[in-house]
Parts: sequence; C-alpha cells; structure tokens
Amino acid sequence: MGREAARQLAPQSNPTRETAPSAPPLLDVQGLSVRFDGAPKGVNVVDDVSFSVSKGKTLCIVGESGCGKSVTSLALMGLLPTPPARIVAGAAVFDGQDLLTLSERERSDLRGDRIAMIFQEPMTSLNPAFTIGDQIAEGIVRHRKVSKAEAMERALDMLRKVRIPAPEKRLRAYPHEMSGGMRQRVMIAMALANDPQLLIADEPTTALDVTIQAQILTLIRRLQEETGTAMILITHDLGVVAEVADEVAVMYAGRVVESGPVEAIFDDPQHPYTIGLMGSVPSLGRRQGRLATIRGTVPPAELMPKGCRFTPRCPFSDGHCANDPPPLAEIRPGHRARCWYAPLELHRGAAS
Amino acid sequence: MLRYIGRRILIAIPTLIIVSIMVFALQKLLPGDPVLTMAGEERDPQVLAYLREKYRLDDPIPVQYFAWIGSALTGNLGISLRTDIPVLELILSKLPVTIELAIMAMIVALAIGIPAGIISAVRKGTAVDYTANVIALSGLSIPNFWLGIMLIMLISVRWKLLPASGYVPPTEDLWLNIKTMLMPAFVLGTGLAASLMRHTRSAMLGVMRSDYIRTARAKGLLSRKVILKHALRNALVPIVTLSTLLFGELLAGAVLTEQIFTIPGFGKLIVDAVFNRDYAVVQGVVLCTAVGFIFMNLLADVLYVLVNPRLRHAA
Repeated sequence: MGREAARQLAPQSNPTRETAPSAPPLLDVQGLSVRFDGAPKGVNVVDDVSFSVSKGKTLCIVGESGCGKSVTSLALMGLLPTPPARIVAGAAVFDGQDLLTLSERERSDLRGDRIAMIFQEPMTSLNPAFTIGDQIAEGIVRHRKVSKAEAMERALDMLRKVRIPAPEKRLRAYPHEMSGGMRQRVMIAMALANDPQLLIADEPTTALDVTIQAQILTLIRRLQEETGTAMILITHDLGVVAEVADEVAVMYAGRVVESGPVEAIFDDPQHPYTIGLMGSVPSLGRRQGRLATIRGTVPPAELMPKGCRFTPRCPFSDGHCANDPPPLAEIRPGHRARCWYAPLELHRGAAS
Repeated sequence: MLRYIGRRILIAIPTLIIVSIMVFALQKLLPGDPVLTMAGEERDPQVLAYLREKYRLDDPIPVQYFAWIGSALTGNLGISLRTDIPVLELILSKLPVTIELAIMAMIVALAIGIPAGIISAVRKGTAVDYTANVIALSGLSIPNFWLGIMLIMLISVRWKLLPASGYVPPTEDLWLNIKTMLMPAFVLGTGLAASLMRHTRSAMLGVMRSDYIRTARAKGLLSRKVILKHALRNALVPIVTLSTLLFGELLAGAVLTEQIFTIPGFGKLIVDAVFNRDYAVVQGVVLCTAVGFIFMNLLADVLYVLVNPRLRHAA
C-alpha cells in the first residue's frame, strides 16, 4: 500500500519531472519472486522485484552475472523452464493484463507480437535448419493475417531496416553462413517484425566483438526511436546504461537494490552496492591508484543472509542489516533504494 | 553435392574389395568339402576329380578369387552347387520378398518409434514417458522369435485373423500378400521401433534445451509448431542416419523371423545354403548383402548432409 501511495505522491511532489509517469506505465512489475526447485527455503533467485517501464522509454536492469536479471526477463516472457523455476509471487501488468496470470495460449499470442525479446547468444539463438527469411516470416505469419509471400516481403524490409547488406540474398541464407553481429541483426529484425510495444533485450551485445557492440547498440537505439518501442535492456555495462537508459534498476542477488531515473542513479547513488559499482568503472580521465572493487563475492544460496543480501560485502552493515530485509523505499521522488541507511550521508555521514 | 557423393562412392570401393576378399576367404575356411557333399554316396575318385575340375576347386586360391570376382562383376555369381540354378537368379527371386519385408518393418518401426520418442521427450518425467520407456525396453528385450511364436499362437491359431506363415507374391494377390507380411513386419518393426524411440527421445531432449527453441517460443509460436518444426527437424538428423542403417540391416534378411513365418527371403536362403554347403549361394548372398549395406551407408551419408544445412557447404 505504501507503494501505491508513493506512486501517487511522485508526480505531485515533482510534477515537472519528465520520467514521472502520468499515464499508467506500459509494464508494471510488482513484487515478482521466482524460486528454483531445490534452493534453500525462503531463498528466491528473484525476490520481490518491482519496476515499471513507460511507453517508448528505456529501462536498464543492471547487475553482475547471476543476479537474476535474465531470470526476471524470461519470467516476464513466460519462457522460464518450469520446473525447476517457479514464479511464486508478484504481478506484471502489461497494458492492463497481468502477464503472470494469463493462460499459455494468451501469452503466446502476446509473445513476438506485442512483447518481443532479443537474447544474449546470437550464435545459438537461430535454428540452424531453416533460412533466415523463413525464421523471420514465421513470426509474422503467426501474429498477422498475411500470406507467406507477404510475410517474406516484410522479412526483407526488416533485414533492410537492420542494415544487413544484400538482404535479398540473406533472406535465403542459413544462420551458419553469417557472423555473430549479422545474426544479432537478424534477431533484432525478428523481434521488431511485428512492431512490438515492448522489447526485452537480454545483454544483446555481450557475446559480440567490442567493435560490433557499439554498432548493434546504436542500431537498437535508432530502431527504438523510429518505432516508439519501450525497451528493457539488461546489461552489466554501466557505460551502456549511461548512454541509453531513461530509468535504471540495479539488481543484486535477485533483488532490486536501487531504482530511479538514470541521472539520479549516476549522480547520486544511494545503495552501497550501486556506489561500489560506480567506483569500479574504469575511466580515462582520473587514473589514481587501483580501480575500486567491491570486496567479496555474491554469497551462495545456502549462505544468503536473512536480511539485506549485500550485508557480508557492505562496509556499512550491522546486525540490523543482517537480520531484517530493508524495503525498497523512496528516498527522493522516483528514486528508491533498498537500504536501511539510505541516504547514506544522513545516516553514516562520519563513515562515508 | 555431386562431388561429395562421388567422393563417398570412391571411398566405398576399397571397402567393397575387402568385403569380397573376406566373403571369399570365409568360404574357404569353412570346414567340409563341397565336392563330397555333391557327390553324395558315390566316392569315385574320377567323379570327385571331375567335379573339382568343373568348379575349378584345384586352382590356387588367388586364381579362384579373381575368377570369382571377375565373373561376379559381370553379374555371374556362379551356379548353385545344390540346385544347379544360377545364384543371381536365386537372389533376384528372393530379393523382392526381403525388400518388401524390410520396407514394411521399417514403416512399422518409424510409425511407432518416432511419435513415441517425441511424446516421451515432451512429456519427460511423466507417467506417459515412463510407460513408453518400459514398453521400449520390453521391445528391446523380447526376442523376435518368441514374439513371432506368440503372435502366431494368438492371432493365427486362436483368433484365425491372419495366416500363420507362407508367402504370396503381391502380383498374385495383393491383399493376401499384405496379410501374410503383417505379422513378420510387426515383429521385426517393433524391435527397431524400440531403439528408434530411445534415440528420438534423447535427440529431442537435447534439442529442446537449445537456445533456438527458446527463440521459437519467444516468437509466440504454438508448442505444436515449436516441437514438430523447430525441434524435430534438428532431432531428425541422427534419426535419419540410424534409420538408414537399420534398413540396411533389414536387407541382410531376418534369419529367425523368416524361419518362423517360413518366408522365402534372404534369411532363409542363406541358412539353407550354409546347411547345404552351397558355397556359391552363400558367397553370392553375403556379397549382395554387403553391397546393399554399403549402399545404405552411402545413402545415410548423403541424407545426413541433405537434412543438415550446416554440412552442405562443407560437402
């Protein structure tokens, strides 16, 4: 209920803020929890995750490997392998419908049509046995009342849009005849073929060469601007976040530890984990001493603290942190942090 | 593609030569003298010498080999020592029977094995999966001859639904032909269905975990299409190879099954020939079977490339 109140408060207290949603968000995820069979009791791989994406905006979910970013996105798509994964709590309201309560048939009607996804591994994400054209066109035929030939025509358009050279020829090519970057362009073409309202991109550039990464990211950005698609971009690259995000959600060990507008997160990070992340970004300008790191590693599931999951690595933690999980509380309008001592300068002035 | 097939055929040639030498040598190593068998009670040295001369059994073995292989290449596989019928003629009269039985058995095997494999992979860990596995295991463990005898007892003797044995050429009476072949084809087919089912299941399970299956589902495709198009197409790659090789084995004749149902195919021909020490027939049948098997291997290689676009360019 506090959440509801907070959301109503936000636009009133800062009505000029662009990112404050006036209309209901396109996707509103509240308290999403995913459990893997066999995990210790009460330790969810994704725990009480909440965020929202507005029409045409970009939300970046940031966090290190294994923090639950991908599981979250697959849960939204309905692509989690069940078992072992089970959604145990939460709601994900997309345009008025709760994705998590839809039937499998209803979800598959949305998938690839209004919500599309790009995956991390372009090398293995395309079926080796079918041509590129066939694989793009079948997604169009599934959701639109078009003939196979019209779908192929649309597939060709999409290949042009994602700037694939010689698209007519590529339409008949098999995935193994293309490079990783080209395949990722095909994946993007496939995802955007039905003009989705929401695109989930799960580390779309991680598996690519550094030189290709920027191209692909620029391409996604450009197409997103052209089509007005909202995007959830999952990444661990803070440079990418700074460039493309409107909103940011920082995840740690399955929980959102901080969320807010991109400027707020970068200019004034509140959670000790976010502060640590910012400190670990190499920069060209100041090169003084060693690169800051966050000491320790993410605890394994069986050693996960009862309270704040960052406790063992946090320089500010105490007994309170270890035993009671802090809420994701709003510290400033639109800016939330899951820390008992946020804002830190207020509570831990001396220490920081 | 044509170059690939050409290369495969070239590779098959040395295999064929080795096989022919082995077939020939095996024959010479078998105990017993065919001349004595032919001459029967009569042990007149002159008759024996005449027979040896006629079948050139006194020539050095390499000479005999080249004489045999030379005429084999022209289609002359010799004359049955027992019946005086040319071996080629014998083989050609039995081959259609064996091919028909092999095709019908293969249809049974594919029609049972592949759907069962898909279903048990998709329903992995459920009662359906376990049931299918138990049936498959039984299918693998039950000997063909036992199943054949049981079927004859039940279906032919008790219920009188199908003829117990014999063979009617399809040109004579197609319906009766199918009726007589049904039980032997079922007996042979179920044995193969079991291994096809196990292979299909594991291939499907492997493929269903791949990223491109997730992509197909992310496109919103219905599970039926995801399974039957995206998964099956890739799982079929090893299955096609396996089926072709199984078919090659079927062509060698099903000795026990043919005996039980008294079907005059390759299996029966070779068993009779071995018992009669009818060298020429044994050599001819084994050579023919080996060539058939090598050909099916060749076909498996070609099909493997055809169903697997990734290999087409390499080919």
